[in-house]
Amino acid sequence: MHFAHTNVRGRAFVALVLSCLGLIAVLAATPAQALTTNKATARPNQEGGNGVVGGIDTRLTWEGTVGDDEQIEAITLELPQGSSFAGSTTRVTVLDGLTRIPIEGQASDTDERLVVNFDNPVPAGSLLRLEVEGMRFAEAGGDCAVTGTYTASGSQHELDSSDSITVIEGTWLQRAVAVLDANPAVEAWNSNQFLGMFFKPQLILTSLFSLFPGWLVCLVIVICAYPFAITLGLIFALMKISNNVVLRAIAVVYINLLRGTPLFLQIYIMFFGLPMLGINIDNNILGVAVMAINSSAYLAEIFRAGIESIPQGQYEAAASLGMGRLQTMFNIILPQTIRRVIPTVTSDFITSYKDTSLLSSVGVMELMMFAKNATSVSGNITPYVTAAIFYLIVTLPLIKVVGIIEKRMARSERGSGPRPKLTQPTVTTEDAEQVEGAQSVLPNDSTDAGVLMAQAVRAAVGGDING
Amino acid sequence: MANMTRRNFLSICAAAGSLALVACGGSGTGSDTTTSSSSAEASAAALTTVVAGKLTCIANMYFPPFESMDESTGEPQGFDIDLGKALAEHLKLECNWLPSQQFDTLVPTIKAGGTADISITGMTINDARKQEIDFSDPYIDSNQALVLKKGSTETEASLNDASKKVAVQAGTTGEERVRENLPNATCVPLDEVISCMTSVSTGNNDALVIDLPVAANLISNSFGDLEVAQEIATGEQYGIAVSKENPELLAAINAALAEMESDGTMDELEVKWFGTKL
Repeated sequence: MHFAHTNVRGRAFVALVLSCLGLIAVLAATPAQALTTNKATARPNQEGGNGVVGGIDTRLTWEGTVGDDEQIEAITLELPQGSSFAGSTTRVTVLDGLTRIPIEGQASDTDERLVVNFDNPVPAGSLLRLEVEGMRFAEAGGDCAVTGTYTASGSQHELDSSDSITVIEGTWLQRAVAVLDANPAVEAWNSNQFLGMFFKPQLILTSLFSLFPGWLVCLVIVICAYPFAITLGLIFALMKISNNVVLRAIAVVYINLLRGTPLFLQIYIMFFGLPMLGINIDNNILGVAVMAINSSAYLAEIFRAGIESIPQGQYEAAASLGMGRLQTMFNIILPQTIRRVIPTVTSDFITSYKDTSLLSSVGVMELMMFAKNATSVSGNITPYVTAAIFYLIVTLPLIKVVGIIEKRMARSERGSGPRPKLTQPTVTTEDAEQVEGAQSVLPNDSTDAGVLMAQAVRAAVGGDING
Repeated sequence: MANMTRRNFLSICAAAGSLALVACGGSGTGSDTTTSSSSAEASAAALTTVVAGKLTCIANMYFPPFESMDESTGEPQGFDIDLGKALAEHLKLECNWLPSQQFDTLVPTIKAGGTADISITGMTINDARKQEIDFSDPYIDSNQALVLKKGSTETEASLNDASKKVAVQAGTTGEERVRENLPNATCVPLDEVISCMTSVSTGNNDALVIDLPVAANLISNSFGDLEVAQEIATGEQYGIAVSKENPELLAAINAALAEMESDGTMDELEVKWFGTKL
């Protein structure tokens, strides 16, 4: 009993001594921890996102600092099961502060393990970076920490584990791209310099998804901007035809300044100028504002030309009915104007929609910006072609609509629209009511004059469509 | 490897020079120049370029001190510009600098061919670009810089937040760095460094990551309200982009670069544009 007790105490003592020794050993070993892991990151390879996707190529960057009195001869990086270094290329960078030390490494890879042997030992105190291009994480995704070993002074040590990289599971899109990659017909297509550069099927597929958010931003910007543009345009059009000199002067200056300078310049002034004045607005809202203001100047001219194309007789007739100036404008002139300017306004809408692309230069995340990113990452023009598809989805139907409206208008202006049947020579009271309801109370000028006027509107406004 | 070439070249030059000296007896002056020019001529004779007899170069011209345009004349100037001129001289070609082009379009331009022979534009050698084009041996080392408004206390860690916007020049290694290391921040790629700097200066964006020499140059010349808050040691190396279709030109350029390292041209250019030898 007593003996046993001493024995226990003895054991405790031995354990204490051992643990002390162990602590000393650990303390002694700490300097031998010659390579500290700083971080491990992977290049985002997700289409239309910032994530790291498993199962497709990416680049792993591992960075560590060499301890004060050690030299590293070789390093092994290890990844969890399913990841692969096979077929990767490794770039070694050794830095003393900001200065590069010329050390190269020989990399050999098995699936989950990459061994790099340095031609000269990596000196103490330096920063070691390995960039492994063309490796892939496990397709199932998950958190991947980089572990491994390193060789210092001929002996091998464990490398401390890096923070884990979050890897997303491969999607059907990635699998579809893999199918395209493996297809010999696609390979033949891409081997043609032109087709491969402009119409690479893999990139068309992936960029359709990655550009989509940018397309939405484009649409939202122009759709939000247009009601403001129309309102502002109408106000300035009315100001320009008003009898008040001051109002007219303001409108002329506003319209001419905006129509006389490139939109690109206006964007720069707004985006860099306003913050300097201490006005900080969200980029997207500022984008809407610039598009609305720019468009309003063009719309003002379109509306003015439209209003002025309404024959004088309409004003006289309204006056003869005892209508005031405002009443005439809002009840008689503007309703007729709107009908006439719809095609040119639609053309302006198309122009504005396309012009949102200029906002990419100041960092609004719209379609062109996404296309530019995709192109700069891939070094391939295809994302721009995809962007063109996105623009055309909207513009082609609108162009068609403009065509149809113009044709109808030309027909009605020519007076070749639907006519009353010759078998009903007398106008019934019912007919008269219908005509009244259609707001054509006032006798229009002769049809010839109408055609001339329509031409005049088009001539006055034509320049604006392409502006 | 570059050092090896340089050393080989030196010894060859020395050997050729001494041979020439022996052959010419004492006729001496300038014999070295004749030998080196004849070797360059021999290589130039075989070169095919976009415009015969000319070395057509292209760059994004808003990257001082590597390339910029003279304020009054619009002439290109900078380290890379002079390097292009010196290269052309070594290759016995006439140097022709094309107008500035967006940085991210330069690799596709060189790959497509027909516009420019080479792009010297402070372009970091990396494997993604290497798949599209060839790079010459590295001609200068560079690092990245985190640029902030003076007095800002942001760090790389604090910028990695959804509320932060970090400007970069589109298609640069700075952009790659931000996307990879600050995944939570909004990365705002802009066309040119100047717009990036302006956007940080105006407070539109919180920070900028761009090549250190360029950041230092622009801050000392025109953006006094900004500062390099952190030097990011990347040790990247700039190379000259050459089409994969023209290996002869690549070889000639590498030989010329080695020659320029050894004859002091590179040191001269570094002193001219950076104030010191690097």
